[in-house]
This record gives sequence, C-alpha cells and structure tokens, in this order.
Amino acid sequence: MRFTVRDLVYIAIFGAMWGALEMTLGSYLHLIFPPVVTPLIGVGTIMTSLGMVVALIGRLFVPKRGSVVMIGVITAILKALSIGGVVLSPMLAIIIESLLAELGLLLSRRPSRWGFALAGSLAVLWTFFHKFFGSYVFLGKGIYEVYLGVLRSGVQTLGIGMEYAYIIIALFLLVRLVTGAGAGWFAWEVGRSVQARLAK
Amino acid sequence: MIWREKGLLSDRRRPFTLWGYLIFFVWSIALAIFLQGIGLFFLLGITVAFSAIFCEGRVRPIRRWGFWFLIASTLMLSTLFIGDKEFSLLGLGLSPQGFWVGLGMALRGVVIMLAMTTFSDAVSVVEITHLFEAVGLKGLGFALGVAFNMVPTIQETIDTVYQAIRLRGGFHRQRLATLKTLAMAVVINSVRHGDEIVDAAQARAFNPDRRRKELPYPTWADLALGMALLSGVCILTG
Repeated sequence: MRFTVRDLVYIAIFGAMWGALEMTLGSYLHLIFPPVVTPLIGVGTIMTSLGMVVALIGRLFVPKRGSVVMIGVITAILKALSIGGVVLSPMLAIIIESLLAELGLLLSRRPSRWGFALAGSLAVLWTFFHKFFGSYVFLGKGIYEVYLGVLRSGVQTLGIGMEYAYIIIALFLLVRLVTGAGAGWFAWEVGRSVQARLAK
Repeated sequence: MIWREKGLLSDRRRPFTLWGYLIFFVWSIALAIFLQGIGLFFLLGITVAFSAIFCEGRVRPIRRWGFWFLIASTLMLSTLFIGDKEFSLLGLGLSPQGFWVGLGMALRGVVIMLAMTTFSDAVSVVEITHLFEAVGLKGLGFALGVAFNMVPTIQETIDTVYQAIRLRGGFHRQRLATLKTLAMAVVINSVRHGDEIVDAAQARAFNPDRRRKELPYPTWADLALGMALLSGVCILTG
C-alpha cells in the first residue's frame, strides 16, 4: 500500500469524519439507547452504517486497495481518545468492519454501486456477530451454553417452536444486510455527486 | 487534556518499552484463553500485581460498577442455565457446575480486561501508530496527525451546515434529499480544507516515504520480563 500525500490527507479527513461521528453522535446514542432496549437495530448498526457511508465516500476519493482499512484504523485510534475510558471492543469492531468492507470492494473488483452495497452489507453484518465474538473472547465458549439456555427458556416461556427463534435471528441478519446495502448505495450517490460538484 | 492522559503527549518514565507491555498483553490473553481451574486464579493475581506495580497503580475497570454487573450477570446466568439443577433458591433451580463454569468465565473476563487496560494505559498512541506503520500501514502517523487536527474543524462544519439547513426548513420534508445535501456540504467543505493541507505539506516538500522514527529495540528489562513470563507459562501449564 503506497499512498501519496493527497491520499493520506483524504484518508485523514474521512477517518476524522467517522471519528467525529463516533465521538459525538455515537457516545450520545449509546447513552440514550442502552443495547438491551434496541435489539433489532442497535446503536452499533446505526453507527456502522454512518461510518460506512463516510469510509466508502473516502474510497471514491482514494481509489486504492487498503484505503478503507486505513480510514478504519484512524477512526479506531480516534475512538480510543474519546470520553468513556477503554473502548477496545468498539475499536476492534471498527477495524474488523473496515476489513470486511475492503473484502467486499475486493470481491466486486471495480468500484460500482453494487460493490459499495456489498461492502456496506458485509461491514454492517458484523454488528450482529461482534457481540458473540466479543463474548467468546472475554468469557470463553461456556457463554454459548448460556445463550442457548436463554434461547430455549425464552422459547419455552412464549410457547413457540425453536424454528421461530431461527426466523427472528434471520430477521436480525436481514435487517443488517439491507441497512448496510443502503449505506453503501447512499455513499455511492453522495460520493459521485460530490465528485461531480468538485469537478465543475 | 484527555490526549495527555491517554499518553499522546506524555513521555512518562516506564520500566519497560512498548515490547515489554506487548509481551505481557499477549501472554495474559493467551493464558486466559487456554488456562482452566486454579491456574486462572494465579493468572489473575499476576495480572493485578503487574497492573498495579508497572502501570502507575491503575486498576481502573475493577472500580466500575458496569464491569461488576457484567461479572455478576455472567455468574448468575451460568448458574441458572448451565448443568443440572441441584439446589433451589426462591423457586429458581441452581447448578453448582454452572457456578464453577461461570466463575471461570468471569475470571477470564477480568484478566483480559485488566491486560487490555494496562496495555492501553502504558503504551502511547504514538507508539501504537509506529507499530501499525511497522506492519505496513505507511504514512499512518502523518494521517493520524492530520485527523486529530481536523476533528474540531469537521465538528464545526457539521454543526454549521446542519443549522443552516434546519433554519431554511430542512428535514421537514424530503428528508433523504436533505440528508444527502448535508452529507455533500460537509464532504465538499472538508475536502477543500484538505486540499489546503496538501498544498501546505507539498510546499514543505513533505514525503510520507521518508524514514521516520523507528520502534525502540527491546531493553534488558523487556527480555527479563519475557523470560519470566515464559517460565510462568511452564509453571502454570505444567
């Protein structure tokens, strides 16, 4: 990955934009919407979608492999400096999401609307798995037994079949896929409009 | 002020370099993942002692109620949902096996949290940036410097543009189009500001490929710590 001065400055700008959103809007939303209140679309999903809009617009300005990862790393480091102490879990999430977005862009080869939608979807999809990944890292695989126990207990209490639980999980994934695709689509629209405006 | 507290500006005296703290961080996390039973208690003791002695006595997460809530809920849920129920309390079936599994998970969580806090407190952002550059993210230090300076400017731009749109009746109808206008205005303003920074950097003949300050070499203290931790692995797993 070799970036020019211009590339690095643009990367810094888009990293700062995502970082500013995380430090202000992200902290505020986490405060007013605790994770248990919003299980279907959590604050993480909203913030990742906004972050992807910023990072993917950045990709249009720095059309080089690795630029989204660099934007993600800068955002993660800025997040470390935000109020609220150790935020290693969200920092890790931001870096993994930017890696997944980069993978999506790599799979689509040429920058396109659908490529951006794929990158956004992959990144936002991680918000669902991050909680389980984080739990595994912090607490070990025993926590999965707890999750399954809670799921079975919930199914028993509501008197519904286990298949409904899977449908709910599928719904969670679908919502994230659509939200991420929308973020990618929006990033393409805004990015192209900005480029057209700046070219005048 | 926060940046100084986080070590961005500070150059405080430490017994180990970045390598010592990195070795300890990796060691703690690896052992927390693989160790079971009584070994986890020893690991917790070593991690608490290291954090208290070599990280200016900061054992911050332990002082947070949210952290203890996480630990308590892990213990409670595992006692309720793992293993066969052998006791009953207030009508709830409790499992001793679940309690011990939960205790193991909680200890592991405490160790990892402490190791992470110690690493992030002891190592400055500048050193982490150098570490990233060493693994191939060239120019990250420069980009990070620009990003730090751009954050207040971008926050101000977002606020100004948002207020301007809102005062003109934006967000009442065609919200998506208004949102697009907001995003475009912020990006255009920021990119134009960025172009000025590029001009300034180029006028000073800045070259991102130029060799920058490199990572420090491991000291004798780092090597001694590494050897001690390696012996610790043999004792705890043996």
